[in-house]
Amino acid sequence: MTNKKKTSLVLGIMCFALTLGIVVQLRTVKNTNSTVSQNYEENNLRAEVLKYKERYENKYKDLEKAQAELEKVREKATQNNGELEEAENQIKQANKINGTTEVTGPGIIITLTDGKSIPTTLNPNDLIVHYLDILSVVNELKNAGAEAISVNDQRIVNTTGISCSGNIIDINGERVGSPFVIKAIGLPEYLANLSRPGGYLEKMKDDGVDVKTEKSNSVTIPKYTGVMTFKYLKNVE
Amino acid sequence: MIFVAILIGCILGAIIGMNTPMISYTYSSYLAIAIIAALDSVFGGIASVIKKNFDLKIFISGFFGNAILAILLTILGQKLNVDIYLAAIVVFVWRMFMNLGTIRRYYVEKWSDKFIKKEEKEKTTEKEVAEK
Repeated sequence: MTNKKKTSLVLGIMCFALTLGIVVQLRTVKNTNSTVSQNYEENNLRAEVLKYKERYENKYKDLEKAQAELEKVREKATQNNGELEEAENQIKQANKINGTTEVTGPGIIITLTDGKSIPTTLNPNDLIVHYLDILSVVNELKNAGAEAISVNDQRIVNTTGISCSGNIIDINGERVGSPFVIKAIGLPEYLANLSRPGGYLEKMKDDGVDVKTEKSNSVTIPKYTGVMTFKYLKNVE
Repeated sequence: MIFVAILIGCILGAIIGMNTPMISYTYSSYLAIAIIAALDSVFGGIASVIKKNFDLKIFISGFFGNAILAILLTILGQKLNVDIYLAAIVVFVWRMFMNLGTIRRYYVEKWSDKFIKKEEKEKTTEKEVAEK
């Protein structure tokens, strides 16, 4: 009996290990969503790209950690010095405006999704959200007093470009696709005026694009993840 | 009892596997080869049960030893820029087919034996009926 118990225990543990491995592997492969191509070279290149992406993400996490540490050290150093505290507050303010810190506040969330049904009378090109649509919406949001804007978690900063790159849109050099979630912080009543009759969102709705606007009391907008370099900028003396 | 243990192990593994954080893509190739090795030793175990020379110690050491050896070979292959894991996959899959062949032959023979015995029984009963 003890022998049988031992056998069943060991087999149970082994089956546990095997299924655990299989399930984790399946999830990993599903997550990378790389379709297996017949081409050996192509598969290798794809694996290489994934590896570099992972390395980049790890490095970015390290950077974030270092930045948090820097913040702490700076806070400690300026604790008991009025002048330095003022400078620290200025830095924080500048970071908030520049878009290098995560911010939150009341605002609006606009979701633009490519239209699905294709009525024959409509131009199918109208159903798609183009980069010019995103640009116009962002422009209108700025016009309505938005203080911070992000499109699919890409913060719009003063170096951001929104451009067309095939069937997706290029924002901050990152590729972004439908559905587009545009978040903006500002007075919600003003920002909600974007969906006024005759406005740009209304026009897009008429074209067949799925437009949703939602006022919210707390919209969180992530920070800008790229690097800002200013090489040619100089102060005028 | 054994089947219950296997079932519980499988279900627990699936549930925990669904909730664990994903491993990074770099290590997924190692895990894949380890899974193939483990599957191979499972089939080997079933085949040895049929051959009646099943030994638990050999089974366990094969299960983990093969998986670890396969992972180490894959790492070595990546360091040397040779795809050694292909050789490991070929060997494991080949052995899986061999073991499956053993299992299949055993069950097909068992089944056909039963069939023949049934026919013989029917014949004898028919004869008895005729004699009466």
